[in-house]
Amino acid sequence: MTAPIAILFGFVVLAAAAPARAHHAFAVEFDAKNCADVTGVLTKVNYENPHAYVFLDVKSPEGLTEEATFQLSSTSNLRRGGATPAVLNANVGKEVVVRGCASRNGEKHRYAASFIKLADGTIQRLGQDVEGIFGTKIWR
Amino acid sequence: MRTMRIALRTWRPALAGPVFAMAGLLSATAAAQEQQKTFIEARGSVKPVPLPPGGPPPRMADGHVDLSGVWFAGPTGKANAWSVVPDTPPMEDPIPFQPWAAEKIKGMSRTEQQLGNAQVTCQPLGVPGMWTMNPYPHQIVMTPSLFVHLIESNNNWRVVRIPRQHKPKDEQELLFMGDTASRWDGDTLVLETVSLDARTWIQGNGWFHSDDVRIIERLRRPSRNYLAYQYTVEDPKVLTKPWTSAWRTFSLGSEDLTENFCTNNENVEQLMKLYQQERGNR
Amino acid sequence: MKSVALALAVVGVLAVAAAAQDPPKTFVEARGSVKPVPLPPGGPPARMADGHVDFSGVWFPGPTGKANAWSVVPDEPVKEDPIPFQPWAREKYDAMTRTEKELFANANVQCLPPGTPGTFTENPYAIQIITTPGLFVHLIENNNRWRVVHTDGRPHPPKEELEPLFNGHMVARWEGDTLVIDSISIDERTWIRDGWFHSDQLHVIERLRRPSRNYLQYQFTIEDPKVLTKPWTSAWRTYSLSANDEDLTENFCTNNQQVGQLRKLIELEKSQGIQR
Repeated sequence: MTAPIAILFGFVVLAAAAPARAHHAFAVEFDAKNCADVTGVLTKVNYENPHAYVFLDVKSPEGLTEEATFQLSSTSNLRRGGATPAVLNANVGKEVVVRGCASRNGEKHRYAASFIKLADGTIQRLGQDVEGIFGTKIWR
Repeated sequence: MRTMRIALRTWRPALAGPVFAMAGLLSATAAAQEQQKTFIEARGSVKPVPLPPGGPPPRMADGHVDLSGVWFAGPTGKANAWSVVPDTPPMEDPIPFQPWAAEKIKGMSRTEQQLGNAQVTCQPLGVPGMWTMNPYPHQIVMTPSLFVHLIESNNNWRVVRIPRQHKPKDEQELLFMGDTASRWDGDTLVLETVSLDARTWIQGNGWFHSDDVRIIERLRRPSRNYLAYQYTVEDPKVLTKPWTSAWRTFSLGSEDLTENFCTNNENVEQLMKLYQQERGNR
Repeated sequence: MKSVALALAVVGVLAVAAAAQDPPKTFVEARGSVKPVPLPPGGPPARMADGHVDFSGVWFPGPTGKANAWSVVPDEPVKEDPIPFQPWAREKYDAMTRTEKELFANANVQCLPPGTPGTFTENPYAIQIITTPGLFVHLIENNNRWRVVHTDGRPHPPKEELEPLFNGHMVARWEGDTLVIDSISIDERTWIRDGWFHSDQLHVIERLRRPSRNYLQYQFTIEDPKVLTKPWTSAWRTYSLSANDEDLTENFCTNNQQVGQLRKLIELEKSQGIQR
């Protein structure tokens, strides 16, 4: 941390603080340079706080089924963004694609999600725009 | 699997409001660093439209401004966590840490910082944490004799009588919400809090405080749709001088607060694994 | 330690009553012991500008307007009907050990949201209510929880729009001077009380009235066609206005050691095959 603390954390202190603040939190646990579209069958939705989780059954290169865990935003953000429990639960058992960035602590198949492409093709936001793919310019 | 709708967008800062003007300015400077990206049209993305002022603020029977309402951070009266326009940082003085305090914060790894952050560990946010470490909406319910502050984050509340003096020093104990004196200064509600448990942070970046800290918060409602919040930190054990934040904008929403109980916190465990790996690598 | 304080006169009565079962006890005068003195009714209840009764205030369970957790007089048992469990539910309830009931049933032990009616029923501490025209705000000390309910008689949203919430989806209306809070879609992890679990069909109707300035009365009805054979209604419970104009105190669950301890106990019970 070579930048003067005050300026660096100026971003973190915004009134509409969520994106910048969450970048800070996101970047600690997950790697925004290690993201991928993960395809699998949605098996479970855990709609709780501080983070909701969805689970996908994914196929390994050897053809084995493994479980991938995706950390989403809070239910406060999810609900207001349209990713209500009803919308997510309607896709349980169906093939979906989740854009996720991998955990830094080496846990296999653990990601933070930014969007899900539902079975009907709709793309639903699930988290922060860490890759800048939704149009928000990222800062770090 | 590029079957997603792809929309290439450029932002025109022609719309009214400081938000868009600033965004245009920023995108110009950032353009040099970033390559052209593919943009995704996703449900949930928000294009922020600021609320108009909405006329004079409502007043209570005693003539004081009524701060009651559900308040969202920013000018839109809605959640803007997924805004396609980045937030504009407020202009604030650098935090005047004493050298030992600045060292301590610099010495925290990012993981350690996260593990000390009440938002991450689902601990009480405290004062001013309920405002500074909370991106979710607030609900204020006000009567002439009571200020009630509800937040979604971990379903916390804070109640302050109006007006109120501090408890006598020998009756004080360190509390997450501290001991708050209140008074009106014209149309500004002034809350002064002491006796704060040192486990709370001023901001989520590791800015810790001593148990001698004094926080002065100011709340005003310049118009019906807007709430403004500012805080001052006096902490002679940690800072070289008092520090005052910029005024932060909140806007009136028409929604209710939603439930947000911290019943499935997996972050701490994950961060502890990372922390142990980091320590092993040193 | 013998004492000749007046307190003994009160507890002396108890000693006599209990004498048949227990050997005579030595009573201790301890600071913190409470000799309950009920508040007078205090005149008519306050009303809001819209004419409805104002429930605002800090309320303590019982009639004294003070905490009576350490009352030297035992609480009177409340007369209520037995819980009309369906046979399968009765079996499940009876099969729980005391420790399981304690660990999993009681939200306060796990520092989980108490839910509805748990905000009242799983809560021996003071509460604060703020009512304004159209709004009912309920604050509890237990882990610093709040709930807010609109009181304008609005309906619940259609079923498809509902999701399980710890407090459920709550709406309220006035029936004369009684506030009726109607809650559905309550997360099944909450319990009515003491091991009394519920289904997703749980429908809770809470009634609040303030017969006089110093008294609040609370009653709740449970409808749960998957678990009960018929609806069940509690007795009216009494709350009283803070006699010393107190505030709620801070109560955050930041050092919960009970869960770890109780889990150990459950493991012990399982390994020893203890059922009840």
